[in-house]
Amino acid sequence: MASVPLGELARAWIAVGTQSIGGASTTVYLMRLRLVERTGWLTRREFMESYSLSQLSPGIHLVALAGLIGHRLAGASGVAVSVAGMMVPAAIITVALSAVLSGIAGHPLTGAAFAGIGPVTAGMTAGLAVISARGTVRHGVRGALDLAVIAIAFMTFVGTAMSPALVIIACGLIGIVALRHERPETERSAETE
Amino acid sequence: MSDPIALFLIFLKAAALGMGGYGSLPLLREDLLLTGLATDEQLIQSLAVGRFSTGPNGTYIVSLGYFAGGIGGAIAALVASCLPPLVMVPLVAVARGRLLSPGFAGFTRGVLLAISGLLLAFGLAILAPAGAAGLAWWHVILALAAMAVTVHGRLHPALLIGLGAAAGLLLGR
Repeated sequence: MASVPLGELARAWIAVGTQSIGGASTTVYLMRLRLVERTGWLTRREFMESYSLSQLSPGIHLVALAGLIGHRLAGASGVAVSVAGMMVPAAIITVALSAVLSGIAGHPLTGAAFAGIGPVTAGMTAGLAVISARGTVRHGVRGALDLAVIAIAFMTFVGTAMSPALVIIACGLIGIVALRHERPETERSAETE
Repeated sequence: MSDPIALFLIFLKAAALGMGGYGSLPLLREDLLLTGLATDEQLIQSLAVGRFSTGPNGTYIVSLGYFAGGIGGAIAALVASCLPPLVMVPLVAVARGRLLSPGFAGFTRGVLLAISGLLLAFGLAILAPAGAAGLAWWHVILALAAMAVTVHGRLHPALLIGLGAAAGLLLGR
């Protein structure tokens, strides 16, 4: 297909980066709205194919998705424009919010508010773990093996001083040997992106 | 103020070994908190900011970079967190078939399962960073409610954070 003009591509991604309050699900929705439904730059199948491949990436999956789509639409320049268009405005907004919070962090009311925000954040993180596991754990005997890997990672973090990096690498290697029967259903774990 | 290059390397390692925006959390806690570059309070603040901000869930990383190293730290975190996911662009171009192989699928599953277990443990760690002695009954109820709403509910994350703040103002003073 013909390359999409970089200016138009940047405008689409800036819209995604500045309007997607609420995390991954909102961001994916806006990507699809801007890149598939409104502009027709991608077919639904192309979008879902890039989305599926992005789920295999390290780090923030939606950055990988922006890069894959940018490359498909406008080559190497498209990668830079897409990732920067989505992430830089969001980062500026994040830094502004962080600066405001830094300014009021020492106030007693802020301290009291964070006495409630802390447990909520902890619960949300545990909830994300459940969502991630729900999209990955298989049924039957294989599911028991998957749960065992989760339990090993949990116990290692809680009960030993082993680095989480080593835990992740070790579980990845276990996966090559023992968990390779079918592809993970990562599409259902989009919230953890 | 922390060295931006040191922060860049910490964030790069976390992004390279984690999968998903929140997959980096246990790694960042180890490298930033346990080495004194950031605190548990700053980590919770960055997670809250990330929920109010726009973009992917991983923008909390930029906030954490800001708390650890100012504007330089935020830039270091932003660039470092964007680089590892972009390996997918050349990988898909040259090795698409290998990415779809059973072995790679097994590796991905193993990493995702490890991150699930680590995130669960991480949630527990930030709920009671100083052990059970510092926990109040309403902390536990808030955490369980937030977990249930996150798993099953459709409440906006920022609203959930706001409700947590209100509960803290009512019960935490």
